Amino acid sequence: MVRRYKNPLNKRFLREFKEDFAKYLVIFLMMTATIGLVSGILVAQDSMIAAYDESFEKYNIEDGYFTAKKELSTYQRSQIESTGVTVYENYFYDLETDTGSTMRVFKNRTDVDGVCLMKGDFPASSDEIAIDRMYADNNGYAAGDTITVNERTYTISGLVALSDYSALFSDNSDMMFDAKEFGVAIVTDEEFASYDEDFIKYRYAWTYDNKPVTEEEKSDAASDLVEKISDVTSLEDFVATYENQAIIFTGDDLGGDRTMMAVLLYIVIAILAFVFAVTISSTISKEASVIGTLRATGYSKGELVRHYMVVPLLVCLISAVAGNVFGYTLFKEFGASMYYGSYSLTTYETRFNANVFLETTIIPMIIMAVICFVRLSHKLRFSPLKFLRHDLRGRKMKRTLKLNKHIRFFDRFRIRVIFQNAGNYFVLFLGIMFATILLMFGFVFPVLLQNYSDTIADKMITDYQYFLKLPAGITEGDMWPEDLAELMLFQEKTETDNDDAEKFTGYTLKTLGENGFISEEIIIYGVENDSEYILPAPEKGEVYVSSGYALKYGFKEGDTVTLSDPYENKTYDFTITKVYDYEGGMCLFLPFNEVNEMFDLGSGTFAGYFSATPITDIDESYIGTVIDSDSMTKVSRQLLISFGQLAWMLDIFCVIMNIVLIYLLSKVIIEKNAQNISMTKILGFYPGEINKLYITPTTILVIIFMLVSMPVSTYLLEFLVKYIFRQMSGYISFYMDNTLYIKAFALCIATYAVVAFMQRRAINRVPMEEALKNVE
Amino acid sequence: MFLKLSDIKKSYGEGDSRVEVLKGINLEVGQGEFCVLLGPSGSGKSTLLNIIGGIDHADSGNVSIRGESMGELNEKKLTAYRRDHLGYIFQMYNLIPNLTVRENIEVGGYLSDKALDIDELLDVLGLTAHQDKVPSQLSGGQQQRTSIGRAIIKNPDILLCDEPTGALDYATSKEILKLIETVNETYGNTVVMVTHNDAIKLMADRVVHLRDGMIRKEVINDTKVKAEDLEW
Repeated sequence: MVRRYKNPLNKRFLREFKEDFAKYLVIFLMMTATIGLVSGILVAQDSMIAAYDESFEKYNIEDGYFTAKKELSTYQRSQIESTGVTVYENYFYDLETDTGSTMRVFKNRTDVDGVCLMKGDFPASSDEIAIDRMYADNNGYAAGDTITVNERTYTISGLVALSDYSALFSDNSDMMFDAKEFGVAIVTDEEFASYDEDFIKYRYAWTYDNKPVTEEEKSDAASDLVEKISDVTSLEDFVATYENQAIIFTGDDLGGDRTMMAVLLYIVIAILAFVFAVTISSTISKEASVIGTLRATGYSKGELVRHYMVVPLLVCLISAVAGNVFGYTLFKEFGASMYYGSYSLTTYETRFNANVFLETTIIPMIIMAVICFVRLSHKLRFSPLKFLRHDLRGRKMKRTLKLNKHIRFFDRFRIRVIFQNAGNYFVLFLGIMFATILLMFGFVFPVLLQNYSDTIADKMITDYQYFLKLPAGITEGDMWPEDLAELMLFQEKTETDNDDAEKFTGYTLKTLGENGFISEEIIIYGVENDSEYILPAPEKGEVYVSSGYALKYGFKEGDTVTLSDPYENKTYDFTITKVYDYEGGMCLFLPFNEVNEMFDLGSGTFAGYFSATPITDIDESYIGTVIDSDSMTKVSRQLLISFGQLAWMLDIFCVIMNIVLIYLLSKVIIEKNAQNISMTKILGFYPGEINKLYITPTTILVIIFMLVSMPVSTYLLEFLVKYIFRQMSGYISFYMDNTLYIKAFALCIATYAVVAFMQRRAINRVPMEEALKNVE
Repeated sequence: MFLKLSDIKKSYGEGDSRVEVLKGINLEVGQGEFCVLLGPSGSGKSTLLNIIGGIDHADSGNVSIRGESMGELNEKKLTAYRRDHLGYIFQMYNLIPNLTVRENIEVGGYLSDKALDIDELLDVLGLTAHQDKVPSQLSGGQQQRTSIGRAIIKNPDILLCDEPTGALDYATSKEILKLIETVNETYGNTVVMVTHNDAIKLMADRVVHLRDGMIRKEVINDTKVKAEDLEW
């Protein structure tokens, strides 16, 4: 009777899992944890990005705001609205809390910049207040607590997120937000009306009836509008949303670490794929006779390659499914908490994400498949006869490795064990290298940021840089008499008697955002000929590039830098004549007059002052941004907050990764040598001697790999850090503290000690009968 | 002729260490014939078997089955040739340790679309009672029966046996030889068996004596001795 059989080899898979349960469990857990973590963070991130993007429509986020000196009349509002915008009242008070922080208090908004209730209720009575969720977290407040604002005690009815304050910038010219010292809140209309009107800020939000799309259109629309509003009223402030850091900072920052997370996952998968490749290679060597027989019987190489690929791919697939389940549930909360720890985001809905599926399931499967396929194809390339003869060496060994007879027997033995397992040790080296890089990354990043904070004072042009701020509404067009007076006052009041002050002019351009770098702002300084702060001052035709800018982009003298003015749709080329030692800023230095001419700023116009001492005789309202050591370190402080949660996870991850890799690969070595180990037992070697033969080589190599990995990982980390900072504005130089090597080495050795203990047990368990079986 | 070998030459090594293993072998085996390749160690009999089986290549000469030359086959076609025409039995059984007896036999059956019924075959092999055991639970003879089952379940045109009793005791060896004889008679497969056991020649249709890579003698047995009557 003729019949067809299903492939019985498939029945091996489940048995394979059972027989080597510990190995597959360890790989599964490692892979699941990695995929779960990355999936969770990416799902949370993408869901939040989607929620953030949708929030513009959902909460009707403004297209910009302006602050008028006086309340607009109905006529003035209609005048402004006639230009194609809708204007909304968004008045507020900046009030002091009992802890000294500033609380910006609004009425509840319904028409624009909606408020998302995160917990509790909106205020219903005059003694209730709903405060920003992130401010509450940072200052230890919860719904139901009391808070004193403006010397009045309120019950916190709920925690909220204001859609126009996802990043808590108190002033748009601040370099970084500070969510501990500044918060936003809402009170009832009655309570709002009870405040002292002398301190009210007449802020108005606007939305366009027809929204501009491109940056150029947005810039033009904002310019037209500010001109129109200036014709109608006198302005304190005017900020279009595309420039409003409180709104756009979060959107720009969310997703910035996506590539890094994905790369981390892929490297882990690749290393685990190598582990699979090594273990399967070992299995193939063990099953050589069977494979030879199958091949002789008519199984093709392709069939066997596919057969041996099933288990790794199954483990990868199951891990991806389990990882994604954890990602969408457990780890998503962790991911969300990371972002809620940094931003005052509104609520989000978890959504299935095709990209995350691709990144955490399809691509890992492809990586696993490719690595296993390449290794298996190579390993199974031999003829059936070679398999039958157990002759699986690619090249015929011309001669045995000759070892000097003066080398002690034990040492010679160990050397041979090392050479016999060279492939395993190579993968172990890669794994230790990767784990060390991650470990060092976890260690280095906080130290690097701290070092930046500690040394920033030495990397500044001078202790203070003041950028002046022209009152809003003073433009080239017609001015109100009071604006004209304001301009004259500005010119008069922005002169200083401080002898240390030195004027500079300036203009801001943007980088093109090419080659993996984000588009960031570059300040074009115009420096006085007799500058005391830029020495020597650039002469006519000279362009200095700050060393921070040059180091980040790899510029050197003679290179040409192209920068764009997105609002004018123009680009500018600058040929560098000198790299100027200034790591703290991203800028170019040109002669004063050349900058004013180049950007048509007008002769004598200046943008601010360099000064070695604080300038105290200029009204604060004319000062836009102050660059001092405190403002410079806000960036690193915020990065430390954001990174802090990740750092300890990275360290734990690395320790587990080290244990898993060393355990799996040394397990293969012991399995491969089971017969020899058994034979040494039969010959009468003591367990301690056997350990010396089979564990000591691994110990020696692990120590060597760790020692080699550290400087190499530092070198690679420098590249990695540079790559990460490509996605961020500014430049933070790489820094390594040598004590970190000792810390990392100690941790790795402690990790290895755990595995060595397990190895000893595994060797002790090898039975003596092992030497007697399967001998052909 | 069903299986035809023409001037097969094979050598290993290079220069001074070059060894000529086969020095021009010419042989013809008819369909359903039981052919024994007999000779001492190093005579080239296993190499010749491997060349017939398409797992080793001759330096020169030609192997053809039903007039189809193997020399012109690439690796893929050689695999297909083995799949379609050959069954292999080795001295070591080379069974898959984590598959049962039944499954190990099915490994061979999977390759063929004219596979025999496994229950019938298990019965012939005397393995019905052991079909759910894994190889480590079997005796050497039972393992070799399983490997024979794996080879013949696909009902191959040629059954190649490389010292199939080499690792077995006298009684078990006779059992295995009886089984191969039964298979040959029942299914009509051509059998080519390599052995250095002189007694086995008596059960063959054709006996080829090899020494130093050459055929020294070729004997056609007019009368065959039953495997169970063999003595050594």
